[in-house]
Amino acid sequence: MKPTPSSDPAPPLKPLVFQILLSLADGERHGWALVREVQRREEFSRIMPGNFYRTLRTMLADGLIEEAGRAQGREEDERRRYFKLTALGRKTAGVEAHRLQAAVNEARSKRLLVRSRG
Amino acid sequence: MNLYRLLLLAFPRDVRHEFGGDMEAMFAAQLRNAPASGISRTQLWCLAIADAVVHGFGERLGRARRAATVISSMRRWRWWMHAITQDLRYASRLFRADRSTTAIAVLTLALGIGANTAIFSAVDAVLLRPLPYHNPDELVMVWEKRPAEGVLDNVVAAADFVDWEKMNTVFASMAAVSGLTADLTEGGDPVRVPTAAVSPAFFEVLRVQPALGRSFMPEEGVVGRHRVMVLGHELWRDRFGSEGNIVGRTIGLSGIPHEVVGVLPETFRFPDPSIEMWAPSDGAIQVWVPVPFEGLPRPLSRASHEYLVYARMKPGIDLAAARADMDRVGARLAEAYPETNRTHGAWVSPLADEVREPVRSGLWLLLGAVGFVLLIACVNVANLLLARAASRRREFAVRAAVGASRSRIAGQMITESMLLGALGGAGGLLLAYWGIRVARQVAGANMPILGLDAIGLDLRVLAFTGAVSLLTALLFGTLPAWTLAGQDVNEALGGSSRTAVGVRRRLRVALVVSEIALAALLLVGAGLTWRSLHALLHAEPGVSVKGVLTSYITLPNSRYRGDEKLLSAFDQIEQRFAAIPGVRIVGATTLLPIGGGDSRRGVGIEGREPDPDTPTRAHPRSVTPGYFSAIGAHLKAGRAFTAADRADALLVVIVNETMARRYWPNESPVGRRIRLSGPTAEWREVVGVIRDVRHWGLDRPVNPEMYFPLQQMPSSALTFVVSTDGDPAALAPAVREQLRAVDPALPLSDVRTMEQVVTESVTARAAAMRVLAIFGVMALALAAAGIYGVMTQIVALRRGEIGVRMALGARPADVMRLILREGALQAVIGLALGLAAGALLMRGFRTMLYGVSPADPVTLTAVGALLLATALLACFVPARRAMRVDPVATLRQ
Repeated sequence: MKPTPSSDPAPPLKPLVFQILLSLADGERHGWALVREVQRREEFSRIMPGNFYRTLRTMLADGLIEEAGRAQGREEDERRRYFKLTALGRKTAGVEAHRLQAAVNEARSKRLLVRSRG
Repeated sequence: MNLYRLLLLAFPRDVRHEFGGDMEAMFAAQLRNAPASGISRTQLWCLAIADAVVHGFGERLGRARRAATVISSMRRWRWWMHAITQDLRYASRLFRADRSTTAIAVLTLALGIGANTAIFSAVDAVLLRPLPYHNPDELVMVWEKRPAEGVLDNVVAAADFVDWEKMNTVFASMAAVSGLTADLTEGGDPVRVPTAAVSPAFFEVLRVQPALGRSFMPEEGVVGRHRVMVLGHELWRDRFGSEGNIVGRTIGLSGIPHEVVGVLPETFRFPDPSIEMWAPSDGAIQVWVPVPFEGLPRPLSRASHEYLVYARMKPGIDLAAARADMDRVGARLAEAYPETNRTHGAWVSPLADEVREPVRSGLWLLLGAVGFVLLIACVNVANLLLARAASRRREFAVRAAVGASRSRIAGQMITESMLLGALGGAGGLLLAYWGIRVARQVAGANMPILGLDAIGLDLRVLAFTGAVSLLTALLFGTLPAWTLAGQDVNEALGGSSRTAVGVRRRLRVALVVSEIALAALLLVGAGLTWRSLHALLHAEPGVSVKGVLTSYITLPNSRYRGDEKLLSAFDQIEQRFAAIPGVRIVGATTLLPIGGGDSRRGVGIEGREPDPDTPTRAHPRSVTPGYFSAIGAHLKAGRAFTAADRADALLVVIVNETMARRYWPNESPVGRRIRLSGPTAEWREVVGVIRDVRHWGLDRPVNPEMYFPLQQMPSSALTFVVSTDGDPAALAPAVREQLRAVDPALPLSDVRTMEQVVTESVTARAAAMRVLAIFGVMALALAAAGIYGVMTQIVALRRGEIGVRMALGARPADVMRLILREGALQAVIGLALGLAAGALLMRGFRTMLYGVSPADPVTLTAVGALLLATALLACFVPARRAMRVDPVATLRQ
């Protein structure tokens, strides 16, 4: 599950990892906001704290995400920690997206995917 | 909420610290939103518990597995360090508490380790370290070989050397060396300096860079260009005050001016100190001159053998290749010069072997002997520790009872041993430092062995000492550790146990027996060496040793040109010496007995066809008419020389018994004639046979020898022999004075009594004997201490039994006999083993022996008696203590 920058083709990411990467793709989030965003997805609605934060720690350790500096004016809760994508995380997310797209393309070419009209 | 915090405990502390708050908040929100998201709180709690277990403990487990190796080995290491520090602290407390035992053990070990260090430093310096030259593995000596005669190392003829140098394809450079002496009058009193005549490439072969100036150039091997010299560092320093401008100066050498072109570095050593044998003079070679092989009026000799040949193999050439090439060269020369070279070849031998061979077996013998001393020391310390272990049985039993593991207890014993070993090693280093300094002073001056002056304590020797100390500690520490760790806790705590004591007593007796055996072994070695030396010193040299003073005189060519001048000067000296009060008779010879070697010459024997395969040869000496009586040589047949044997009289010769036997078997040579080989040689009549005289050394065989009257075979160098009824050494000042009266510029070196000459010829052997004797005494003392210790303990253990015996009517004398018998039994068993082993082992060192067999009954008996007496003496004190046992007191116990 450990993505390496040059490993191409990369092994598929765990869905939760990919989801966190996607959530951070448009900017840094603090942990709690991240949780909320992830939980909005149905398959992660029952995600539990232990699992979530362990995944987060692993991603930090693997260098996919990093802690963003605590900017002034965010003093409302000191314990809140902000996370953002690293270059590696962004690239990994891209690779995974391509992989998924390739899978989707293949499914489409095999007519598994019905184009919605309108 | 506090409940969730409890769940968080499943996570590692740092995770809790970092994300605990977030996780708590998240779970709180989940609880709040639970109804909205269609999940009951109970379900949520169940999920939370599962989440904590899976991810909390999962995280811990993963980490533990990842770090398993690092963390656990770190812990083990810390545990060990802790245990060892604890043991060390305990051991040092123990040592302080039992000072006498500790002191004895440390001293014993220090003696053993110190002696080993000292001997190893000599072995290292002389045998193990590479020779002190650049790429020493490339250096070889090339000898003339005569396979038919079984000779591989004859010195080389000049013409052969020159051809070898031209024809070989394997050597980068080659050089011929011969020794001579030269008189130096400049810079102080006239002195004779040992000099080497070398072909110009000599310093190139050894790759020696002079400290000042240059070495020889190829053209300085040509007559006319060869009056140059290189000075040794010592001579330059002592005689010329380390003058910086010495290079370029012209100095007279035996009256002939030589230009100094260079000074050798202080570290330079000539590879073969035995070259001094050729030039009877003290000290190392100090002057180097080129020997010219080109531009001579006559062709170089192929018959006169006088050069040592050194060579450096080209890179990539090995010994086998060098030998093959020189065999080819030798065969071609044999073909080209059948008369002289038919049976000759060339033999290549590594320089390191040449230098080390003479001392190899002696040094290994000493190292072996000193190893045995250390073994005895180990046995002694093991015995001491066993004795102490006996009194510590309860202590260890208690520790075992409260949970100390066997390995932990053994570990502590080993730590104690290591500490003892380290202390002994440190003491040994001190002793070795002192011992080496003494040895260097004694040996350096008397034993010309390459590398001997480099002996010292360096890192290699320190490493050796460290390793030996460690090994020693393991050796003497294992046994007590094993017996203690293996003891039965119940038994030890329950009080005295006969069986355990009995086992340990048997063990200690076995140790003493082995100790005596080792001591016997060593004493046999020392005894045999001593007997050899004794036999050697009493070997019949063929001359009288007492009451003879010798002095070596050379007359420089420059001032004493021509035989007549030489002879009249020597005659004058002889007369002046004869006039010294107390002098009985004076003679002179070209070669003093015992002192050294010389070369032989081919002779033709009348009535015997020369056979090239078994050439007839003999060693020539010229002597004055008084010589035979002065040196005490006995005439076996015919007559001695007289003043009438002048140059113009009948040419005569006296041969020794060996020559008479070899060339005129079963008949008297008197009246027969011989001549030196060569086209113009005249016949000389044998007028007498003289008893064999040992010229090459007391332990060397006698060669065929022939004596010529000095008048008929003059020489410029003679050793005068003055015999007296009184103390010969007392004549030395008068001899010097008379010589000065004849010619004040004549240096007089080597004024020695014949006894000194004999003693000096056995210096190395005597030194080895002395060192072995010291080791023998150490072994004896250690063994005595061992026996004493064990017998004391045995007496203490048998107190009760002795008390009962006395109560039943045994007299004190009976008790004494009982104890002595026990000690004697141990000694006899040990002796039998040791004597047999000693005699067997010395077979391997036969070359060290002279005139005694390895199983020499005198030595074996003497060693046996000495050890037995020592053993009984060591038993005596404990036995007396046993005699004084009070039966009433013991019975009451």
